Amino acid sequence: MSAHPNVPGEPTTTGTALLETATAAIQGFGPLKRIHQHLCAFHFYAHDMTRQVEAHHFCGHQNEEMRQCLIYNSPESDARLIGVEYIISETLFLTLPDVEKPLWHSHEYEVKSGVLFMPGVPGPIQRQDLEKVCKTYGKTFHFWQTDRGDDLPLGLPQMMMSLTRDGQLYDELAHDVEKRYGISFATESENRAYMKGPDQGIHPLANGGGQGLNTSLREVECMPIQCRRWHRLNKAIFLQAHYHNEALSPYVSQFFTS
Amino acid sequence: MASSDKSSAPASTLGGDQPIPPGKTMSMERHMLDKGAQMLQSLKPVKEMSQHACTFAIYSHDMSRQIETHHYVTRISQDFLQCAVYDSDDSHGRLIGVEYIVSDVIFEALPPEEQKLWHSHAYENRLWAQIKSGLWVNPRVPEAVVKPELENLGKTYGKFWCTWQADRGDRLPLGAPALMVSPQAVNLGMVKPELVQRRDDKYSISTSAIQKSRVEFAEPEWLNPQADYWKQHGKGFAIDIEPTEMKLRAPFP
Repeated sequence: MSAHPNVPGEPTTTGTALLETATAAIQGFGPLKRIHQHLCAFHFYAHDMTRQVEAHHFCGHQNEEMRQCLIYNSPESDARLIGVEYIISETLFLTLPDVEKPLWHSHEYEVKSGVLFMPGVPGPIQRQDLEKVCKTYGKTFHFWQTDRGDDLPLGLPQMMMSLTRDGQLYDELAHDVEKRYGISFATESENRAYMKGPDQGIHPLANGGGQGLNTSLREVECMPIQCRRWHRLNKAIFLQAHYHNEALSPYVSQFFTS
Repeated sequence: MASSDKSSAPASTLGGDQPIPPGKTMSMERHMLDKGAQMLQSLKPVKEMSQHACTFAIYSHDMSRQIETHHYVTRISQDFLQCAVYDSDDSHGRLIGVEYIVSDVIFEALPPEEQKLWHSHAYENRLWAQIKSGLWVNPRVPEAVVKPELENLGKTYGKFWCTWQADRGDRLPLGAPALMVSPQAVNLGMVKPELVQRRDDKYSISTSAIQKSRVEFAEPEWLNPQADYWKQHGKGFAIDIEPTEMKLRAPFP
């Protein structure tokens, strides 16, 4: 259901493709080798539940309690890299400052309802991992709004949320995925009935603290105060030396005395 | 409100001797689960990341902060690349963001409000491949293989969101994504020599030699002034995340 954008541009030339084969053979790809898992789930925009996106996560563990995922709009070779998600254990989530917690969403509903799954992996094997995912929290940004037909990654990063109860996910999105992968969310959900969410329950500050979230852009100084002072000092020293401008002396010396 | 230019992290979550990120090491059971899944799943988009390039980036809201980055690049078309960006190329590399790279043709067609979020690569290319300065280097790839690609990059523009500010000690990805800008030949954009040296030592390369070898690459005739917004305006950008009323189709949460 999600739009597959046609990125503008000439198709890749043969020369380019050959270079890329050559370089891939020579170089080390440490972080990519850690990516071991494909998860399919749905995200919606944190300010707009009516905009929902099928999200293909390619995840690697940093350690037992943290995963980092690249999010694509499809599992195919021409998939667009549309965002990132970080997944952490409940223990790590509880160490987050309160101002940070709303940016993280729970996974309990997605896992227990069956809509979050590992394509191609048999149920019993999936469940060994997903029963852990059930207790985790995730933080997701999308940079490319392919669902509204964008051919390019335009605009600001978008905070995304995950499903938290029945009735949120569009039936047609769900059926499309079920049909494509030959699965039934309802059946899988029954198999996952034994799973439990976070030990201390879903934290009240998670999932936006129950509110929507929006990103906005703000212009700022591009250097912090100390660096600006240093910059002005450097300029003053230069001017003083270059133009023998003694009027600058008090200005320069105040930096050394204050 | 969470912002890209403010740190919410209390001392307990910042660096020190603790690992970044914190957390228990992986069990044998975990390793086996991973191996099992990996054998059953094709992971096609990951396999499309065919180049690894090393370069430097600067925070637009604080240009005193410069980081070494490792880009894993997928070519979508002759005019568009998408990159997963990590802070190192070893297996513990942290996923710190995403960069998109477009040709000048695509960039010129973007609206001005969009263009100001992008940065040019003309100088970085020199560095990068040092294409004049040699900052962007494909580690361990012979220069002869790399050059044809790099000349191409000189005329591109990039948009880079950093989602994990590990350089300021964040043990977990905190806050809003930060907009990054590229190295430039002028004051705030100059990369600190010690950063370049450290990269050179690690990969046994000489950035200055690479620069010399790329000196013949033509400079782009025109650089769109909307890109590298800080150069014309002296301002960077920060992202804020604020509560808002969510448009619903069902109760939440």
